[in-house]
Amino acid sequence: MLRYSLKRILQSALTLFIVITVVFLLMRLMPEEGYFGTGSDKLDAAQKENILRSYGLRDPMYLQLKNFYSSLLKGDLGTSIIYRPKVPVSVILKGKVFYSLYLGLASIGVSLVLGIGLGILMSQYKGKLWDKLGTVYIVVINAVPAAVYYLFIQLYTTEWFKLPILFDVDKPVSWILPIVSMSLGSMAGYAMWMRRYMVDELNKDYIRLAKAKGLKNSAVMVRHVMRNAFVPMAQYLPTSILLTIAGSLYIEYLYSIPGMGGLLIDAIQRQDNPLVQALVLIYSAVSILGLFLGDLLMALCDPRIKLEHQGGSR
Amino acid sequence: METPVSILSVKDLVIKFNLRGKTLTAIREASMDLYKGESLAIVGESGSGKSVFNKAFMGLLDKNGWVESGSILYKGKDLANYKTENDWLKIRGKEIAMVFQDPMTSLNPLKTVGKQVQEAVELHQGLRGEAAKKVVLDILKDVGISEPEKRYRQYPFEFSGGMRQRVVIAIAIACRPEVLICDEPTTALDVTIQAQILQLLKGLQEKYSLTIIYITHDLGVVANVADRVAVMYAGDIIEIGTADDVFFDPQHPYTWALLSSLPQLGIKGEPLYTIHGTPPNLFKEIKGDAFAPRNPRALQVDFVHRPPYFEVSETHKAKTWLLDPRAPKVERPKSIENIRAQWGVL
Amino acid sequence: MSTMLNKPNDGIDETLFTLAEYDARAAELGGYSNYSYWRSTWQVFLKNRTAFVLMIIILVLLIFTMIQPYLPNQKLPNEIYLDPATKMQLRNHPPDAEYWFGTNSIGQDLWARIWSGTRTSLYIGVVVGFLTAILGIIVGAIWGYVRRLERLFTEIYNVFDNIPTTVILVLLTYIMRPSLSTLIFAMCITGWLSVSRMIRNMIVIIRDQEYNLASRCLGTPTGRVITKNLLPYLVSVIMLRIALAIPIAIGSEVFLTYIGLGLPVDIPSLGNLINEGRLVMMSASLRYQLFFPAIVLSIITISFYVMGNAFGDAADPRNHV
Repeated sequence: MLRYSLKRILQSALTLFIVITVVFLLMRLMPEEGYFGTGSDKLDAAQKENILRSYGLRDPMYLQLKNFYSSLLKGDLGTSIIYRPKVPVSVILKGKVFYSLYLGLASIGVSLVLGIGLGILMSQYKGKLWDKLGTVYIVVINAVPAAVYYLFIQLYTTEWFKLPILFDVDKPVSWILPIVSMSLGSMAGYAMWMRRYMVDELNKDYIRLAKAKGLKNSAVMVRHVMRNAFVPMAQYLPTSILLTIAGSLYIEYLYSIPGMGGLLIDAIQRQDNPLVQALVLIYSAVSILGLFLGDLLMALCDPRIKLEHQGGSR
Repeated sequence: METPVSILSVKDLVIKFNLRGKTLTAIREASMDLYKGESLAIVGESGSGKSVFNKAFMGLLDKNGWVESGSILYKGKDLANYKTENDWLKIRGKEIAMVFQDPMTSLNPLKTVGKQVQEAVELHQGLRGEAAKKVVLDILKDVGISEPEKRYRQYPFEFSGGMRQRVVIAIAIACRPEVLICDEPTTALDVTIQAQILQLLKGLQEKYSLTIIYITHDLGVVANVADRVAVMYAGDIIEIGTADDVFFDPQHPYTWALLSSLPQLGIKGEPLYTIHGTPPNLFKEIKGDAFAPRNPRALQVDFVHRPPYFEVSETHKAKTWLLDPRAPKVERPKSIENIRAQWGVL
Repeated sequence: MSTMLNKPNDGIDETLFTLAEYDARAAELGGYSNYSYWRSTWQVFLKNRTAFVLMIIILVLLIFTMIQPYLPNQKLPNEIYLDPATKMQLRNHPPDAEYWFGTNSIGQDLWARIWSGTRTSLYIGVVVGFLTAILGIIVGAIWGYVRRLERLFTEIYNVFDNIPTTVILVLLTYIMRPSLSTLIFAMCITGWLSVSRMIRNMIVIIRDQEYNLASRCLGTPTGRVITKNLLPYLVSVIMLRIALAIPIAIGSEVFLTYIGLGLPVDIPSLGNLINEGRLVMMSASLRYQLFFPAIVLSIITISFYVMGNAFGDAADPRNHV
C-alpha cells in the first residue's frame, strides 16, 4: 500500500509540474493589455515596453520559468495588477478560500449522500416509478446545460420560497440555493453510476452463488452488491471533484459569493493577467490533488489493488 | 434388497424462455427420479438443457424463463409451483445446494474466503462469531485446504483454481444440504486437479450422506463417479439407467453416438468418430424424435411420432422407437461393444 | 427384450417402422442464426419509444431550422424593427401575431433570432463533434498502435485529464479572444480526450483480443475482420460521441457567453439569447425572452442526449435479447 501511494504521489507531482509549466507558457500568450491596467491608453509604446520589462516579460523563456518557480516555491503567486493593484495574490486569496472550500465540501457531501441513495433506490425499483423519475432527473440535468437550469432554479426558488438570491454572510439561509444548485450535477452523476454498477453486479456469477446459498435478496443486495458497487464508485469521486470546481466558477458568479470562482470570472472580465494565472494554477493543483486522493480511496476499497499495485485504470 | 427411496421426482417438465420476442422451449417434458444417497450423472452436449433443468430445482432460472408445465416433487411438495422468494428460501442451501462451474467468478472478489463460507454457516447452522468461525475452519480442513487459519483471511484471487473450487464446495457443504448439484465441477480445472476434486466429492458424500447430481459432458467423469446416468438431448432425458446399463447396454441411437465419440475407442490411423449435424432449433416445435435428423439409423416413425419411454429393465429405460416390438432389429455400432474391454482406459 | 410403457394399440401405422432415408443436409439445418447486428440494433432502438419520439422531434426541428429563412414573412435576426406608430425601436414587445416570439430589448425579432441562433449552435456542435471524432481517432489509433509512443501519449492524456475542462476553455478563449473559430478550436482541444481514450482502448483490445486472432487463424481476410469485428463497435462509439457532443458544446457556449467569452453579439446563438434573457428574467412580463430560447435549447439538448444514449445502449449486443 505504501509503495503504491508513493508511486502515485510521484506521478501526481510530475503531472503537476508539467501542467504548471504548460499553463505558464500558455499565459505568455495572454493579451498584453492585461498588464497595463486603467489608463493604458495614456501610455506610449516606450512606457509599455518598460512596464513589460519590469514584469520580466521580455526575458528569455527559461529565465522566466526559473524566476517563476523560485518565487512559487517561496509561496509568491504574483501580484495583482488591476483587481487590487499591487496586492499580492496570496493575500487576496486568503479571504476567498474559505467560501469556496465550504461550498465545495458541502456540495460534495450532499451530492454523495443523496446521489448514492437515489442510485440504490433506482436500481431496486428498476423499471418502476422511482427509476423512471430518477432517469428523467438525470437526463434533464445531464443534457440541459447547467447554465440554463441554474437560472431557472434561481428564478423560481426566489418566487416560490423567497430564498435570497444574493449571498450574505450573515444569513446562513442564503447558502441553501448555491449548495443545492451545485449538488444537482454531481448528484445526477452519482445516481447514474451507482445504479449502473449495482445492476452490473447483479448479473455476476457470485451473486447467483450467494442466492444459491439461501441468502435473502435483501441481504444479497446489502452485503454483496452494494459493497462491491462502491468500489468503482470511488473512481468517480475525483471526477466529481473536478465538476465541483468547475461548477463553483458558475455558482459563485451567479450568487455573488466572494469565493475563488467568482474571483476568476472577475479577473477574466477585467483582464488581470497575474491573477488569472495564479488562479488557473491553483485550480489545476487542486484537481490533481483531488484525483490523487480519489485513486488512493479506490485502492483502500479494493484489496486487489492494494496487493497487486495495479495503477489507476482511468 | 432395500428399495431405493426417491427424494426428487420430476415428471414431464416443460421450461420455456423468452428470447428476442420469441419463445424457446428449453426443456421438453423431461422426467427423472433421484434416489437417496446415489450419484446421478446427467450427460449431454452444450445446449442440451442440463443446467437449465437443474436450476429449476432451486428457482435460479434467468428472469426470462419459466416453468410452463410438469411437476417437481421434493419431499411431498411440488417445486414447480414455487413462485415467491420465501418459498425458495426453504429449499436453497438447506435442502438443495449447488456447486457452479467456474470457480473464478463464483466467489465475491472483495470478500475474504472465510467470510463467504461463514455466511453459509451462520445462515444454516444458526451459529455466530467464534463458534461459526470454528465450524468454518473445520469445513475448510474437510475439503482439503491446508492452513485453514491463514486461508480464512485471504481473498479469492490469492487461491488457485482447484483451491477455489474446494472453497465453493465448502460453501455448499456448510449449508448441510440433502442434495448437492455439481454443475460441471471440473470442467474449468486441470486434468490432475479434476481427479482430486471428484475424490473429494466422493468422500464428502459418504461423510455427510449426500445425494449428488453431476452435470457434465465428460463421459470420463461419469465413468468415475456415477451410480446412475441420465442422457439428455434437446431438452429431454432420452435414456436413463445405471452406469452399467448405459455404458454396456445402451439403447438409444444418441447414446450410441455419444459413446462412439469417445476418443479412447478410436483406431489409430483412422479419423475419430463425430456426430454429423447440429442440435435442433428449440424455437421451433419438434416433431417426433429430436435426434432423428442426425440419426443414420432412424425409422420413419421417428419423424412423425415422439417415442415414449420403453423399459429395458427395472433400472433402465429409453425413449426410442427401436425398442418397440414392431421395429426392425438394428445393430449397435461395433466400436461401442468393446467398451467393457476398454473400461480401464476410461 | 423390451416392454412398452404405452397402450399396445396406439394406432401408429405399422409400415412406419422401417428405416428412413438419411439426409445429411437435413442434419445440419438445426442451427439457428438469423441474427443481424445492425437489424437488432435498430430494433432495440425503435423499441425505446421515448428515443424514437425525440428522434422525430429533432428531425422536424432540424428541417425547420434549415428552411425557416426561406419561409414567407420571416424577419431578419439582426434587424431592429420600429414601431409603426411611434417610429421608435420596438423594444420588449411581447409575442403577438406579427412577432411570434416577441422582440428583445433593442427591437430585434426573437423568432428569427432564435432560429438563427439554433443554426449557429447546431453548427458549432456538429463541427466540434466531427472534428473531435476525427482528432480523437487519429490520436487514439497512434496511441494504441505505436508502442514506443505509448508512454508519452499516456502522460499527455493525464495532463489534460487532470485539469477541469472549464478552466482550459476559459483560459483559451481568454487568450485568443472570443470568436466563432476560437470557440470551435477551444472545444475541440478539450473534447478529443475521451474519444481518443475510447479508440485507444479499442486498439489495445484488437491487439490483444483473441477473437481477432482466431478470426485471422481461420483465414478471415483483414477486410472482413475490420467490418465484422471492429467496425460495429467503432461506428456506434462515434455516433454516440457526436450525439452527445452537441449538448456539451451548447452548454459550454452558454457558459462562456455568460462570463463574457462567448460569441460577439451580432452573431446570434442560443448562448447569447439565454444571456440576454437572463438580464430581464426578473420581471415577469419580459420573462418570455428567457423562456423561448431555453425551451428550444432544452428540446435540442435533451433529444440529442436521449437519442445518443439510446443508440449506445441499442448497439450493445448484450441488449439484443
